[in-house]
Amino acid sequence: MAIHRHDNHVSANAFMEWIDRRLPVTKVWNEHLAEYWAAKNLNFWYFFGSLSLLVLVIQILTGIFLTMHYKPDAALAFASVEYIMRDVPWGWLVRYLHSTGASAFFVVVYLHMFRGVIYGSHREPRELVWLIGCVIFVALMAEAFMGYLLPWGNMSYWGAQVIISLFEVIPFVGPELTEWIRGDFVISDSTLNRFFAFHVILLPLILIVLVFLHLVALHQVGSNNPDGIDIFENVDENGKPLDGVGFHPYYVVKDLVGVCGFLIVYLGVVFFAPDLGGILLEKDNFAPANSLQTPPDIVPLWYFTPYYSILRASTESLLFVFAIGSGLGGIAAMVFTKYDIKIKIAIALVAAAFVFIFLNSSGKAWGVILMGSALVCFFLLPWLDRSPVLSIRYRSMPFKIALAIFLVAFFVLGYLGMNSPTPMRTLVAQICTVIYFAFFALMPWFTSIGETKPVPDRVTYDEH
Amino acid sequence: MKTFFYSLLSASFLSLMITLPVNAAGGHGAVLDKVHMNMADKSSLQNGAKLFINYCLSCHSASYARYNRVAEDLEIPLALLQENLMFTTEKTGDLMTTTMPEQDAKRWFGVAPPDLTLVSRVRKPNWVYTYLRGFYQDESSPSGWNNSLFENVAMPHALYELQGVQKLVGKLTPEELHELDGGHGEAQAGDYHIVGDAKFELVHPGKLSPAEFDVAMTDLTSFLAYLAEPAQLKRQKIGVFVLTFLIILMGLCYLLKKEYWRDVH
Amino acid sequence: MTDNHESEEHASDTSIENKKRRRFLTGITAGFGAIGGGFAVTPFVLSMSPSERAKNAGAPVEYDYSRIQEGQMIKVEWRGKPVVLLKRSADMIAGLEKIESNLADPDSLVSLQPSYAQNQARADSNKPNLLVMLGVCTHLGCSPVEKLALGPDPEMGEDSQGGFFCPCHGSKFDLSGRVYKNVPATSNMEIPPYKYEGDLIKIGEDEGRLA
Repeated sequence: MAIHRHDNHVSANAFMEWIDRRLPVTKVWNEHLAEYWAAKNLNFWYFFGSLSLLVLVIQILTGIFLTMHYKPDAALAFASVEYIMRDVPWGWLVRYLHSTGASAFFVVVYLHMFRGVIYGSHREPRELVWLIGCVIFVALMAEAFMGYLLPWGNMSYWGAQVIISLFEVIPFVGPELTEWIRGDFVISDSTLNRFFAFHVILLPLILIVLVFLHLVALHQVGSNNPDGIDIFENVDENGKPLDGVGFHPYYVVKDLVGVCGFLIVYLGVVFFAPDLGGILLEKDNFAPANSLQTPPDIVPLWYFTPYYSILRASTESLLFVFAIGSGLGGIAAMVFTKYDIKIKIAIALVAAAFVFIFLNSSGKAWGVILMGSALVCFFLLPWLDRSPVLSIRYRSMPFKIALAIFLVAFFVLGYLGMNSPTPMRTLVAQICTVIYFAFFALMPWFTSIGETKPVPDRVTYDEH
Repeated sequence: MKTFFYSLLSASFLSLMITLPVNAAGGHGAVLDKVHMNMADKSSLQNGAKLFINYCLSCHSASYARYNRVAEDLEIPLALLQENLMFTTEKTGDLMTTTMPEQDAKRWFGVAPPDLTLVSRVRKPNWVYTYLRGFYQDESSPSGWNNSLFENVAMPHALYELQGVQKLVGKLTPEELHELDGGHGEAQAGDYHIVGDAKFELVHPGKLSPAEFDVAMTDLTSFLAYLAEPAQLKRQKIGVFVLTFLIILMGLCYLLKKEYWRDVH
Repeated sequence: MTDNHESEEHASDTSIENKKRRRFLTGITAGFGAIGGGFAVTPFVLSMSPSERAKNAGAPVEYDYSRIQEGQMIKVEWRGKPVVLLKRSADMIAGLEKIESNLADPDSLVSLQPSYAQNQARADSNKPNLLVMLGVCTHLGCSPVEKLALGPDPEMGEDSQGGFFCPCHGSKFDLSGRVYKNVPATSNMEIPPYKYEGDLIKIGEDEGRLA
């Protein structure tokens, strides 16, 4: 009998010994919990990873119970949601948990991503953790978008109408593609039914697999810390980092505090302000879908609004600014870098091509491209960031200023996206759009200038 | 540096917090009176239910709501509801649908009267309150009625026997509105009655005085707000319990965390 | 970490007390958390019980029983199940006595019925000839067919006093829904709660009356 054991994990008793020979319970427990060493100085920013997982579980559980009563049928969907809100015992609570949970998901995911950026968690060796995370973010957006159609309110209907119409700008196949996505010439029962399938089966499955990969990749390289230093550079005789503590029990009990704090805010919204003044549940969505009557302002939910603002800000004047930007960028690359002459010529040609494209295309198509590019930018972050240090604690002043300006622009874009456009607002949105892209485009430059502070050998930790 | 960074961050948050509510309340520039509802006042909700069933339900439906649920939530005895408020021989658990066929409604009014279950969530209570009080006589309209908030509305004044008949004297300018702003809602300017930004004169008094009518409409608006979300009557009570529990649990978790982290130096 | 040695010494001094406190705190937090978990699960479990719509659909049904002729049986639907309304003739009632020795539970001791129907006629004693019964076989839920004629019957036997025969597995019941011995079903057919209001019989509601 040849049983291959690749580890020396000690089983707790004879029963666990029997199990461990067949299923690596002790091994997994140790490697991923009890002896998964995390730096002892992780602060509150590190709550948002485990909280994202918690919200995923909440959404899946509440979602299962909603599907028991919801009807994915254009004639019945709206009434079935009201049926859940009124006739199903506690249905209103399950529904509010799910609708508030969607927003909570984006809150914790945005904060989780921001944590990554400020502490350099996207940098080598955690690029794949970051990339998988970015895919999760995009999948989550798709999940939220499709879920938003299901109540079949008027905002559901027109929101889907507007977003699906974006695909019309794709050359040659656009109109056919949108018909294929909808399964009809308008948003209809077919669209609702397939969105239901994607929302309750396909995307949750993808999300679960991606989250699993995200964690596997994280556990391969280990968690970062607010100092952005490698705790495995200082280990004891057993290979345990001197500055590390076992995830279990230390971070389990700490995350429990975070979970309680999160639940207080989340359930506070669920019980006291489930529509949060129209931010979480829009008032137009309490009227059934009506293909003949557009709501006065079609606005997406808050988590999409920064990108929606970029979409709306894309007009000829913005493209003109972009053309100038590409031209100046090309010239700067020619003059100020020390690349080989062939590379310089290539850069100049690419820049010239961009100038030409920006000056000779329509705002509508570029709106879609820019909105997509705004997401693609996140994927490039590990390679755009050239700072010699990881954590914001030791980074140079130019990075901090650029990040602060970017944040303001991001919030302003988000705010503008919730409101109907005026000429003034569109101008502000355009300025913020330029800032948004400039932040990523100029990152290789501003992360490599300025003076960084010396990084300590060991993590900073104040004993409380 | 850290302080600079955090102050910028908090400044951007703050500016959002300040601008958001202003915008949410603004809507599309319509001037609305503020309704003072008290969802804990069962007699107000009961009166609203009575008005709703007597004056609204003959044309409008509330087709997601059930009679027995309304009776239970509003503490109306079921027998009383059956005898006085339900006209048809329905089961007490039936949905509050209208008896008027949709086709007839379209012929009489041009449009089918909308379902009112969720009207308070779509329009918001202040709009409902202002709208209900804004009907006036207008010979030029097909129904003989018009509304100061919803111009050329197809609906006739269903409550005129209570309110009486009022005539539109004129609309207030923003400056005049600003001057009146102290007693908004029950604003009386001389012999005129102000609803939103409209100035009305009562031509024929109804069964109720203008002040009584405003109270009745507050009741009706409160009932519609209840009808749009029946769960609101209990969700906050449960919420207080849940949050109290969580705060205690968080305290315990914090102590536990402290206890374990004593190991870490 | 520089004072590793010192901290270990410190730990051993208070370790027993520490362990006790730690165990106590872990226990109380886990207990509290479990209570919270219980509260959290409740709404989800309850959301699967009958909704207001289902309750309304399952609300009592009314039927004007004066329209039923003597010896006639009609079926009405209540909660998606057939309810048998049978106005038994004097002969039918008399027959109930004759076959009692063949029955498994003649006094309805192990069967489901309201207390006012726990008698030979299995009916409200004010109107003993009207049988109100769920037309559902107590074996596996089929709907037995009525055998209202007295006398020989291929399924019910030579000396049939009428009854119900279940075509699925051959269970036999008398005209009170009482089950025969030696058939797959072991209990009498269920009597739902009901009450009379003038000429109307209201099935599904008896306001908790006992007689």
